[in-house]
Amino acid sequence: MSPILTIIVILIGLYGLATSKNIIKSVFCVTIIEAGVILLFLNLGNLEGGSIPILGNVIENIVDPIPQALMITTIVIGSTITALALMLCIKIFHNYGSVEWKEVLGREE
Amino acid sequence: MPFAYQLPIFFVFIPVIFGVIIYLFKKPWITSLSFLAQITLFIAFFVYHQFWLTNPEHHLIVFGGWSERIGISFYADSLNLTFTLLSIVIFSILLLYLFQFRRKDHKFLFFFLFLEGVFLGMIQTNDLFNMFVFLELVTVIVTVLISYQKTGPSFQAGIYYLLLNTVGALFFLIGIIFLYNTFGTINILLLKDLIPLQGDRTVVQFAYIIMISGISVKAALFPLFTWLPKAHGVAQSGISALLSGLVVKGALYVFIRLNRYMYVNVPLQLSELFFWLGVVTALVGVAFAISQKDMKQILAYHTVSQVGIMMMGISQSYLTAYYGGVLHIINHALFKSLLFLAAGVLIKHYQTKKVYEVRGVMRTFPLIGIVLIVAMLSISGAPLLNGFVSKSMVKYAVKGDFIKEALFFLINLGTVTSFIKFSTVLFGPKQNLVKQKNPLQDISMILLAVGCLGIGLFYKELGQWIYGLSVTVKLWEWVNWLDYAIFLAIGLVFYHFVVKKDYKPFQFLRHFKLTFESANYLFVAYLVVVLLVVFT
Repeated sequence: MSPILTIIVILIGLYGLATSKNIIKSVFCVTIIEAGVILLFLNLGNLEGGSIPILGNVIENIVDPIPQALMITTIVIGSTITALALMLCIKIFHNYGSVEWKEVLGREE
Repeated sequence: MPFAYQLPIFFVFIPVIFGVIIYLFKKPWITSLSFLAQITLFIAFFVYHQFWLTNPEHHLIVFGGWSERIGISFYADSLNLTFTLLSIVIFSILLLYLFQFRRKDHKFLFFFLFLEGVFLGMIQTNDLFNMFVFLELVTVIVTVLISYQKTGPSFQAGIYYLLLNTVGALFFLIGIIFLYNTFGTINILLLKDLIPLQGDRTVVQFAYIIMISGISVKAALFPLFTWLPKAHGVAQSGISALLSGLVVKGALYVFIRLNRYMYVNVPLQLSELFFWLGVVTALVGVAFAISQKDMKQILAYHTVSQVGIMMMGISQSYLTAYYGGVLHIINHALFKSLLFLAAGVLIKHYQTKKVYEVRGVMRTFPLIGIVLIVAMLSISGAPLLNGFVSKSMVKYAVKGDFIKEALFFLINLGTVTSFIKFSTVLFGPKQNLVKQKNPLQDISMILLAVGCLGIGLFYKELGQWIYGLSVTVKLWEWVNWLDYAIFLAIGLVFYHFVVKKDYKPFQFLRHFKLTFESANYLFVAYLVVVLLVVFT
């Protein structure tokens, strides 16, 4: 997969954020952007035919391990944020009876 | 290696560990350990400051025995030591303010202390990815604190804040990816030397723009500030003070770090762009602030406008203006926290947020009246107080250009007018209200007011101590006093004949709300516009 494809994934996420009218869809769009970013970094750090970056048998022609180490952290952060956002969605549904941005933002205290 | 060498890592872990202890042991007395955490932090800071002054070769700390290129590292210089001290002071004062109500709330204190540790980490770090992680952690914890009241509006403001800031942070990450891919390191100090060596500037510029755009969401710059008033509307006063006083400043700190420390050797010619962004942010913030009737909303939009003024200062390469911007960040943290805390006490006693329903503060709560006067004079730039010093320094950025001077005048006028509106709460007859005694709260507000006065009077010594810089703003010149008096007079006229009538445009601004989709549209538009400005 080339980096161009991952940039398209990011743009799809942005498009979704700018158009979706539902809070849960917005949460998923953020997740999509994040997936795109992670794939972008892994792609750029990839080496065609390289071996896994674990010290041991082969230590030549290995893939750069830093992007992978960083992206694992990003995945952890992303899952935290998704969990927190979905929790807020549940609470919003309990309070407003809806997860549409329009109905939620339209009604102030 | 001496022990003091590793102290910056303890700035992160002291509050976090104390927070975990408070959360795990549900004894009633254990919450007072949070004060112990603050005292330990102060001691650690001053010990480290002594060490820092005497050992210039040990300012960089690399963890885990890795090489500097790939390892996580912390770096201490005068800028981040200033910010560290500022955040420890503000967190301690807010703890004093909140403690009376929160002494049994272990969970709240846990989040509060955790936020302190994470925030200090964001300031110490010398590693771009680490910075991203801390930024995201700050976002998550602030979201929890915003929604802490567990009402519908607070959840809604929380998710708005969380999603918008996460998108910003992800764009920050994309910038980091491009830099790593080009240079093979994300160490800010190394990048500073590597970036000028790159012949083709396109990638470097692209990474810069995309990182700054991500940060702009958190810093609440012009089209992206919509989350800020929403979050302030629902959060408790202490948390509002934290948001305005520090969290927004954290983003500005990252901006300074990138702009002046990482890209310092590259001629990007962007200071004009960010100067004008600052001007627009300040004007829009002031226009919104004038039209509001809710005390906390007035203060929230004021934060937006003051961020604009800071931006005008810190984007300049001219040193006086730049230091003015940094000083304004510190001053704003003091007086805006003070305003929010005082407004919080008023809201609690009067049971309303409307400016026009609160009357007679001076006679009912003399102490709060006095600290409010100090804070309002300070924010509107009265001589002798700290706001005046930093605003005069930022003013050097507009010297000699008529249009810029006129715009700066307008911003100041708007600030004065909206605080004339706010100051109407001081007057009026004494109200019969049940007063709650809370000495800790009073002490916290008095400390902030003394800080405002202290910086206003001793800014010279402070500048000398931190930067070895001698700046003088003429304090006793009668021109300044005349200036301020004229501002007050025009502001009063403007308030009585324009603002008080509540014309259509003001009503429009007051009820103006942006949906989440449009906020994202604006983010994309902002990114595209900045890219176009840079690449054409």
